Amino acid sequence: MAIFSKKRGSRPRRIILKSVYEENLRILGKNPLGPRWKFPYLFKGYFFLSFIVLLVLGNVDYLDSRLFSENKKEIHISTQGENFVPAEYISLINDKKISMKQMFGLGVKTIVIDPGHGGSDPGTSGKLGLKEKDITLDIARRLKKKLLAYGQYKVLLTREDDETVPLNRRTEIAARSKADVFISIHVNYVPSKPINIIETYYFGPSADGDTLELASAENAHSNYSLGEFKEMIEKIGDTLKLQESRRLASFIQDSLYLNIKGQNSSVLDYGIKRAPFVVLLGIDMPGVLTEVSCISNKKEELKLYTTRYREDIAQYLESGILNYLKKGEPVYEASR
Amino acid sequence: MKPADEAENNILYVGIDLGTSRSSISASNNTKECVESYVGWPRDFISARVLGKDILFGSEALGNRLSLDVYRPLERGVIKEGIERNEEAVKELIGHLISLARPPKGQKINAIVGVPADTLKVNKLSIRKAVLGYVHSLMVVSEPFAVAYGLELLNNSMIIDIGAGTVDFCIMHGAMPAEEDQKTILTAGDYIDEQLFSYLSEKYPGSKFTLNMVRQFKEKSSFVGNAGHAIQVELPVEGKLVTHDITNEIKRACESILPAIIDTTASMIARFDPEFQVKIKNNIVVAGGGSRTKGIAEYLHGSFKELFGDCRVSCVEDPLFAGSDGSLKLAMDMPKKYWEQL
Repeated sequence: MAIFSKKRGSRPRRIILKSVYEENLRILGKNPLGPRWKFPYLFKGYFFLSFIVLLVLGNVDYLDSRLFSENKKEIHISTQGENFVPAEYISLINDKKISMKQMFGLGVKTIVIDPGHGGSDPGTSGKLGLKEKDITLDIARRLKKKLLAYGQYKVLLTREDDETVPLNRRTEIAARSKADVFISIHVNYVPSKPINIIETYYFGPSADGDTLELASAENAHSNYSLGEFKEMIEKIGDTLKLQESRRLASFIQDSLYLNIKGQNSSVLDYGIKRAPFVVLLGIDMPGVLTEVSCISNKKEELKLYTTRYREDIAQYLESGILNYLKKGEPVYEASR
Repeated sequence: MKPADEAENNILYVGIDLGTSRSSISASNNTKECVESYVGWPRDFISARVLGKDILFGSEALGNRLSLDVYRPLERGVIKEGIERNEEAVKELIGHLISLARPPKGQKINAIVGVPADTLKVNKLSIRKAVLGYVHSLMVVSEPFAVAYGLELLNNSMIIDIGAGTVDFCIMHGAMPAEEDQKTILTAGDYIDEQLFSYLSEKYPGSKFTLNMVRQFKEKSSFVGNAGHAIQVELPVEGKLVTHDITNEIKRACESILPAIIDTTASMIARFDPEFQVKIKNNIVVAGGGSRTKGIAEYLHGSFKELFGDCRVSCVEDPLFAGSDGSLKLAMDMPKKYWEQL
């Protein structure tokens, strides 16, 4: 074993000790010694003052007090004139490595869980007769219970029972509850191959034929009018939603795949992908559609019959959501 | 191991590894103790009289479980939610661990507690709440980081801490590991127990055994790769003890957690520059109870070698105390001014 001998008082060790101390101060909600960004106070003050002025004058297209507002596109901040904001701050705001949620400490309060299909729309069915609508509802209920146990989140389901709920009604529920995060739970079906795959989608264009076919199947029963759909299309350029959705998808996929792989080494990671799911387009908050299992695989269907496995899946979703809520990590995108 | 201010201020430093299955304490007065993370209260007046104690811990609690309400209060390395008694059990367990370090009455104690890498702030706060009643000042650190610190693996190394509730990963690169340098997955020792239980139930439906018995089989005979010899246990069938061969079941169960460990390790290392990847992959250390699994270092080495070429994988020498020793070392190195603020 390679041992790196360092003197007790060496600089890296001192830095590590200080970091442990500062981390513990943060746990207690206290400010660590010294600012993390070493900008002069005057400069920082100027930035925040400019930011407030810009908000008031309407030079910022969106970013209201709630996490995600109704009319938001990309952030445009003036780089010229009297309300100019230094370029480094613009790059800070648009930094893809740090999410807006992290940067501005935006909180999450309401989580909407969408159990896919229901009622007259059973979704897919396995060879033994298990229906997608029943699995998604069961997992969603379990996930809700787990998240409520933290006492920090309001958690809503788009359907509480085996009922038909069109996609536009689901997005309405999310909008009305001022949801901050939206998770749609589905189960995959790949009849051509005896495989088990896990994949998670966020809204975006896709050129992949299989993905488009899946989106078309999931978009049935949307009930949107053409006018409503046009309105939604205008929101496509929403950078914040896209960035956060991608991040959320990454955390959920990572948690589901790595944990399920522990139980079944043959499960395949199809990664996170963009797809034009209407239910994800219609919402104004970060949202993902996750295919948590593959019911066309008979072994997987047998496992889905067990309470234990559905509880496990709910737990892995919980872990992915909580990981997203508490930190940021680089994301990866797999191709089919 | 005696910092200057210990003598001056008569402070006892302790490092605690609060584990789902076992918890250990290492103290600056050279005591080291380990206890299974079970807490039991007598069920009624009669059990209290028979046992002669108000509360029992570890193997003693497990051995008398029929007369006790037994709690294993940690789940995946954090306090189980929903049952108030679990919080009380954690408090009692910590009090018991500290008493095992034999501090004189009124002794000032500064403690560092190791928790799983991905523990949420709210869980860290509940662990703080449980410990604070017994100590003067307290810090919480991630368990694999404590192990790395104790082994002086401060730079270009990776710790894989395989516990009962979680497998924790931590990459050290000369600074305090950031959140993205640490990861926790939940398929760990307890998952192996459940798998083994289900394999044995399937293979020997007529036999009677408990999860606790299965855990003991695993702890005695766990291996991955080649067992080298047949593993046999005696299980009761219709009241008679019958010898069963469980070699394949132990192998399947122990190896069931490895794919996720291998994938996570590879994905964490892959995020670094190639130059650092080489250094890190040559310094992978397996810790925690899982490091006692026979053949684990060789198995992981073989899998990593296939994925990213030559590498070095080793296991810690003392998995029971690697975490608490690391926390103790950290506690003793920590400047006094920092302790005063916490």
